[in-house]
Amino acid sequence: MLPLDRYPKEITLRDGACVTFRPMVKEDVDLLWNFLQRIPMEEKMYFREGVDRREDVERWARDLDYDTVLPILAVFEGRVVGDATLHRNRSGWKQRVGTVRILIAPEFRHKGLGTAMIRELRHLGEKASLHYLLVEVTEEQQAAIRAFETLGFERMVVFRNYVNDQKGKLHNLVVLLYPMSLADEEVFY
Amino acid sequence: MCPYEGLPYAELRAGHDRIYFGRWRKMDAGPTEIVRAYHRIGKHLSAIGRVLEGMDLPAARRDHLKAVEVYRMGDPREDSQEALRFMDHALSYAHRVIDDLLHEKGLPPHAPMDFAGWYDAVEVPFREEW
Repeated sequence: MLPLDRYPKEITLRDGACVTFRPMVKEDVDLLWNFLQRIPMEEKMYFREGVDRREDVERWARDLDYDTVLPILAVFEGRVVGDATLHRNRSGWKQRVGTVRILIAPEFRHKGLGTAMIRELRHLGEKASLHYLLVEVTEEQQAAIRAFETLGFERMVVFRNYVNDQKGKLHNLVVLLYPMSLADEEVFY
Repeated sequence: MCPYEGLPYAELRAGHDRIYFGRWRKMDAGPTEIVRAYHRIGKHLSAIGRVLEGMDLPAARRDHLKAVEVYRMGDPREDSQEALRFMDHALSYAHRVIDDLLHEKGLPPHAPMDFAGWYDAVEVPFREEW
């Protein structure tokens, strides 16, 4: 069980806006739905799964299980402006690999919110004793790729024409890994 | 007035920027300036290590370890062709630790360019944030 006593957590962005990070709860269906509605259609094409059905969001909220999927919401003035999720396997050969996904509202990009959410997931991944964090993004998402690389994620592989958008067009998929398996040793000069 | 006065982790931020904007990063930097910068980076990493002691920030500790690791590989007194690159990487990891510390306080990352006016700044690449 991940310790969540650090939430709610206030984060000030570069432009002075103060957002609150907190885990999603069952009552967040409307907030999350409204957030997803504000994502431009062309970007929804890059999603792993469709987000155009409210029933799906209701199902996510109903089936919340922080031990497998921990969604951290960024809330600003009562509305969701960012959603970062840490996906984990309870058992099996990937139980030490966490998968991260981050979605930022268009009006909150280039303010450091995405970077702050990556930092948050990195912290949670460490606390969950994971060995790796993994993220998959299409190659078009260059700003996101740069942000992940800046925080230590390493580009491991690019699959050419690997994923299709909702119109059937093929895109390259970039897989980045953040290794967390260094020995926790003391260092002295 | 010191531009860092009153800021959280002012000592670490000022320490970082003194190195970041230092002469060692200029094209015409001499060996003495590079060795001096190397020692400053070592002291800077030690200062960061002292701040991290007792804090529950495993990601920051990991970055600090990486900083120390590349720092040790970049001693300019040894025959290292890539000393400058290693020094730059060590400083970059150190910056990431400072940003982790600021994040824990709910603050935005440290932006050295906000303080560039106080230094004889060399040109540094623009970094876009996401």
